[in-house]
Amino acid sequence: MMPIWTKSGKKHAVTLLKVQDCHVLRYISKEESGGKTSKLLVGGKNASPFFKSESAMEIFKEAGVPRKQKVSTFNVTDDAIIKPGTPLYAAHFRPGQFVDVTAKTIGKGFQGVMKRWGFKGQPASHGQTKTHRRPGAISTNKAAKVYPGKKMPGKMGNIYRTSYGLKVWRINTKHDIIYVNGSVPGHTNCLVKVKDSQLPTCKDCNKNPPFPTFFADGDEKLPEDLYDDEVFQFTDPSVTYA
Amino acid sequence: CRVSSDGKPEKFQPPPKPVIIDKQKQREERRFLSPEFIPPRGRTDPFKYYIERKDMIQRRRVFNIPEFYVGHVLAVTTADPYASEKSSRFVGICIQRGGKGLGATFVLRNVIEDQGVEICYELYNPRIQAIEVLKLEKRLDDNLMYLRDALPEYSTFDVNMKPVSRLDDEEVPVNKLQVRMKPKPWSKRWERPKYNIKGIKFELPESKMKEAQKWSQPWLEFDMMREYDTSKLEDKIWREVSEGLKN
Repeated sequence: MMPIWTKSGKKHAVTLLKVQDCHVLRYISKEESGGKTSKLLVGGKNASPFFKSESAMEIFKEAGVPRKQKVSTFNVTDDAIIKPGTPLYAAHFRPGQFVDVTAKTIGKGFQGVMKRWGFKGQPASHGQTKTHRRPGAISTNKAAKVYPGKKMPGKMGNIYRTSYGLKVWRINTKHDIIYVNGSVPGHTNCLVKVKDSQLPTCKDCNKNPPFPTFFADGDEKLPEDLYDDEVFQFTDPSVTYA
Repeated sequence: CRVSSDGKPEKFQPPPKPVIIDKQKQREERRFLSPEFIPPRGRTDPFKYYIERKDMIQRRRVFNIPEFYVGHVLAVTTADPYASEKSSRFVGICIQRGGKGLGATFVLRNVIEDQGVEICYELYNPRIQAIEVLKLEKRLDDNLMYLRDALPEYSTFDVNMKPVSRLDDEEVPVNKLQVRMKPKPWSKRWERPKYNIKGIKFELPESKMKEAQKWSQPWLEFDMMREYDTSKLEDKIWREVSEGLKN
């Protein structure tokens, strides 16, 4: 995480996400998947091909791509289908658009009810016997049972969570880095899924996205760094208020 | 040639060889790498620090951040939207330098009209318009937070102080000043060995000083897990930074 300053002098905290060897692996049509839209399987970071069975490696062989550590699905409309085997770059996103980031949260192991659900616990003194971090009552008398889904101690973390509506401030096309506003679930150097935002307020934010994606061998030559309009670039002189 | 009292010419004495002090070489040997360039120990990818350093070097090319240590007296002008001239100037002694990378900060302290004021500035904040070093002197400690409990005369600096002229010498002078403190209670127990402060003149009785030594942890200096050897990293980073700033 890094600070980034706007032209008006405000500071925002930014998370750096690196797009590392992403390739499209397979196209699944609407009828095949049984959903509302067709799907594209996308694979992430490269990994060693030796520790997986032959059947698992089939997908990668078809696409002609080294084995990927993480494979995720994206729901796509029919006009945005990409041929399997195309590499995906950070320039697929543009500064100023909003993005949802999904990742597995940091695993905390088996945790008690105060850390996991934020219960208040009991006082430390004034006669409490062996009861300081316990849940207390778990149900009423009339119910005569404990409702399913009752908040109780258990394994915390290591589940998929999404942070919605994160603004993209800057993109580095040379090293494939996306600078995303705020914090993102997951530990440092964990694998993360970045999607266009589905929030209703962010529908019109992206004016000219590269559609269906940014092709590196195409005619478009992008500069090394793409900034949002409001971001203070370090090549400019210091900010002054007129 | 000289003629001695005998009348015969004396044996030719060659003049003493001149000692050439190569000042350029001496200057090159002294390197200063700002402490925020050195990455902390952790599990982050060093590539992230490389990207951050590129930004820091870019900012330093446009805006000059002078070399300064804790104990220097600095004057900082920032852009302020609410000030009458849209800029505000603050003079103070640097008591602490914290943070790594772009978020590096330094705290300046001064006593203005009997009120102690500390302002924490970010080195790479674009609103800072100028940083001038008014007085160069290093102190005995890295962290001068104890000035809060010292007599106010040690933290007062004239706001219209002129920069003290100084030749481009090699060494930054170290001020071995021993500061006198206000009566206890202090904000932190500065006599305890964990702060390792050398710049205070403790006027406490011997029994209190001995009691403070009870909290000493003499095994810490031999702890191998706490060792962080940054010499090779510093070399590499120094070369990178000097290459970037040359252009």
